[in-house]
Amino acid sequence: MKRGWSGRLTVGAVLLLLGFLAVAQLRSQATDQALAQLTVQDLTELVANLTARNNQLRDDARTLETQRTALQAAVQRGDSSAASIRNDLQRLLGWSGVLGVSGAGVRVAISGSLPSAGINTLVNELWNAGAEAISIDGVRLVPGLVVEGDADALVLGGSPLVAPLELLAVGQPETLAGSLTRAGGPIAQLAASYPQVTLAVSGEDLVRIKPTDRSLAPVLGKPRI
Amino acid sequence: MHGLRTRARGVATWQVTLGVALLVLGFLIAAQLRSEGPRVRYTSQERTPLVETALDLQAQQEALKAQLLSIRAEIQGYEQQGQGGAAITGKLNEQLQAVRLASGLVALQGPGLVIQLSDSTAAVPPGGNARDYLVGGADVLAVVRALWLSGAEAIAVNGERLVVSTAIIDIGGSVLVNSAYLAPPYQVAAIGPAGMFDKLVRVPGFVDFVKSRAQTFGIGVSYATPATVDLPAYAGSVTLRYGKAAPTPEPSVVAP
Repeated sequence: MKRGWSGRLTVGAVLLLLGFLAVAQLRSQATDQALAQLTVQDLTELVANLTARNNQLRDDARTLETQRTALQAAVQRGDSSAASIRNDLQRLLGWSGVLGVSGAGVRVAISGSLPSAGINTLVNELWNAGAEAISIDGVRLVPGLVVEGDADALVLGGSPLVAPLELLAVGQPETLAGSLTRAGGPIAQLAASYPQVTLAVSGEDLVRIKPTDRSLAPVLGKPRI
Repeated sequence: MHGLRTRARGVATWQVTLGVALLVLGFLIAAQLRSEGPRVRYTSQERTPLVETALDLQAQQEALKAQLLSIRAEIQGYEQQGQGGAAITGKLNEQLQAVRLASGLVALQGPGLVIQLSDSTAAVPPGGNARDYLVGGADVLAVVRALWLSGAEAIAVNGERLVVSTAIIDIGGSVLVNSAYLAPPYQVAAIGPAGMFDKLVRVPGFVDFVKSRAQTFGIGVSYATPATVDLPAYAGSVTLRYGKAAPTPEPSVVAP
């Protein structure tokens, strides 16, 4: 009898221990394993990407800390916080697409029949290179807007896009252009896949991008408390 | 024969159970590790410091994002406390809250669905490319674009909220969203209208994805429709460094 109970206890303990070990091991290894399969070149690119992003986040944190300190002092003095709110509002409205944005950037002229996948590739590359605002033939890109359709029947937000197309992006011109035109980059890949298409990238001192005419406010989603 | 029976009777039930349990667990662990196989490679001496640096940078990024969210919340608190011109600040605060909500800086919850993409469990055939059997950035992008076209109003991938400036890229078969490194499986969560899934399966880009990736290489695609989908707030940069927003006296166009 005693032996039976001790046996069950042993089984239970072994199951518990093995279950715990298996879960802990698999969870901790998920990310490491995914990273471990990358080549040295991929890892170097990943580290560069993470470093650039972290530097950007640190800059933002410093700016926000300065804003917080100024606001804190204003509130303690009994001053209005209207100026700070206006600055925040202006920045967010520009970033989100509600307001037009102008500044240095790049222009990509696309002649010929390029399918939607090709255009979306260019857009994704520009965002990754740090673009702050992008438009396609004057239409500001915002979440939910995707180019769809075959090369001769492109549609953006329900409206047809007709070649030649002009893609504008605000951001550091050299970085944006370099990212598109690098060896083996999106322009080279698209040129190889679609030899009939001409893609011309030029850095611009001033690019003007219009605001979106779409409502960005969520209808079904509610703020999570 | 008789001796064998006698020996079998001598083995206690718990010993048999323990043996079977260990066998099953061993099998399960082996199966799990084998399914992870395509992503496992031996770590070279050269690679180890790079992996450690990447993990360290990823941890730093998480901490920085948490810091940004915290400072933003504090600023919001101070902005709401401002005394002078209460009517003006009140109105401005309403507009600011509306644009934060519209641009992804506020966590959302609502109806919707979650699509999960997982690496193929099929064996890579001789001469095949192992990366074809792993979920890549293009796969996640295909699903995200199809969800936008199906009426999604907000999306997150593995807890990384998609915003206007989001890029989804692929480095060596691994996926970065908003420059945050994400490990598989990838859960694409979307808030959207009822019937979004029915629309999704008719979007040509999604149909192509299923044919070319799920049916050809066995990339796992599954979906769930939880009662509520929770999406976190975007924690990244919202700064215009090279661009300047056009001034406007009527910024409230963000309202529906």
